[in-house]
Amino acid sequence: MLAPYLVGLVGLVLLPAAVTLALAFTEYDLVNAPSWVGLDNLVALVDDPVFRVSLTNSLVFALVAVPLRLLLALGLALLLHRRAFGVGTARAAAVLPTAVPEIAYGLLWLWLFNPLYGPINQLLRVGGENGLTALGRTPPQWLTDPTDARAAIILMSVFTMGETFVVLLAARRALPRDVYEMAALEDATGWDVFRRVTLPLMAPVLALLAVRDAIASLHFSFVPAYVVTDGGPPPYATTYLSLFIYRTGFEYLRYGYAAAATLVMILLTVAAVVVQWRLVRRYRGFYGL
Amino acid sequence: MGGRASGPPPLPGAAGRVWRTLGAAFVVLVFVPPLLLLVSGSLTEPGLPPSPTPHLVPDPVSTAGYRQALEIGGLLRASLNSVLVAVVAVPLSVLVAALAGFALARLAPRTTATVVAASLVALMVPATALLVPRFAIFRALGLTDTLVPLIAPALLGTSPLYVLVYYLAFRALPRDLYDACLVEDLSPMRIWWRVALPLVRPVTAALTALTFVLTWSNFLDPLIYVYDRDLFTLPLALRSLSVLDPTNFPVFLAGAVLATAPALLVFVLAQRRFLHHDDPTGRDRP
Repeated sequence: MLAPYLVGLVGLVLLPAAVTLALAFTEYDLVNAPSWVGLDNLVALVDDPVFRVSLTNSLVFALVAVPLRLLLALGLALLLHRRAFGVGTARAAAVLPTAVPEIAYGLLWLWLFNPLYGPINQLLRVGGENGLTALGRTPPQWLTDPTDARAAIILMSVFTMGETFVVLLAARRALPRDVYEMAALEDATGWDVFRRVTLPLMAPVLALLAVRDAIASLHFSFVPAYVVTDGGPPPYATTYLSLFIYRTGFEYLRYGYAAAATLVMILLTVAAVVVQWRLVRRYRGFYGL
Repeated sequence: MGGRASGPPPLPGAAGRVWRTLGAAFVVLVFVPPLLLLVSGSLTEPGLPPSPTPHLVPDPVSTAGYRQALEIGGLLRASLNSVLVAVVAVPLSVLVAALAGFALARLAPRTTATVVAASLVALMVPATALLVPRFAIFRALGLTDTLVPLIAPALLGTSPLYVLVYYLAFRALPRDLYDACLVEDLSPMRIWWRVALPLVRPVTAALTALTFVLTWSNFLDPLIYVYDRDLFTLPLALRSLSVLDPTNFPVFLAGAVLATAPALLVFVLAQRRFLHHDDPTGRDRP
């Protein structure tokens, strides 16, 4: 009964991972058979300015976007974990952007971010003159200024924290009631309760979600960068590791080189999994696993 | 016992409820507008000079964008392909996940632990990290430029997470039940189909919905495996529509609405199952 799943697990994950390992040391363009080049690809990667930029971009993106997503999801979970009129609707609304197909979501923001007729800048220009904002500043050039473009990608990704929110919501609802009743008896303020009760109790879940999100960020930056900013503004302001791999492999047909870059990505993932594993072990007793 | 606490965080009574409702209203106000704008943008008349001020309701309201999207973009054909992939992949994926989850709940602990660990690892690997090698494998099998690579993830249950969810659900069924079935001399297959599966129907409903949303929205796989326009799925056709004329936003937004609607509809129908479980039984979701 396990057979079909095992076929999938081996054929679609384990085997490809092994193939990456092999391809990374070859030169392969799909037409000619792969030829062994040893460590050349990895050496070239280290010297490749585009690769270095995309690696930095990916790490910075994870460093900024992941905490923001986690913070928003936590805030929403704490705000919406108790019943009240409208809370059900708000929960659904918060998860809604996550259910929109990636490409449709990307196209939506491509329009929203348009510097001239996009709704965001139209709104920012309300009350201003000559295309300036009410404060007399130029509105952000979302798609042509490197910093603004990076901010745009991060803004897009913050809205899609639905999964994290659902998990945190469940985690918050699972916390024992009596701890909060005790805190109320102690005359604790809202901030105290958050800092001394809620946060420590939810820390394990938060830590796991942070690692998970950091790994996922290697992937979910792809469609926004591909569709909205096209890896630009020039030269490579929003070229992330995923886009670099895609371009190298499927546009420049350098599969061996792309596999070498993939190897770096897998190593990053492995590092994160090790961190996660340690976290799980540390908190094992905590959840009675 | 001290005096009454002044505003402890589980706000007491009516005041707390009002604040929570206000908060909820704010959340709705932040998250819904982008989707409203998607609809309003798609109803704008294509080709008009963009208005300098923001409008929530376009003037004039026009469905020309939808007509053009269907004609130029070949979205009808693409929708058909998307439906075809979903019709094959979604039931297959749910079956694979349910079977595997059931097997994991019944097998020896050692085997189960190994497979669960492998699933967790598979869950962590970012999809982009597998692009190149998967492509090389499908290419070697001569399966590129067919719809097969788009259906293949069903063998993984679309996401190993869904297998694990089924595993937890089946494991939570009382042991006596399985023992009773063994006394009746039922085969594992029959126990799965006749006894266990009907008991986890809510799980099946939620996972079917999520699998559909993921399959329907899949953009990366068609992007690398399919080049023949006649095999384009909806997300891919949408992409080529936007590349065709990136300035004609009503047309590609109309296409985006068409691609979003089924996913959102299924999601809204299913979301009650994982967002509104106010009973304690819903607490142990992973």
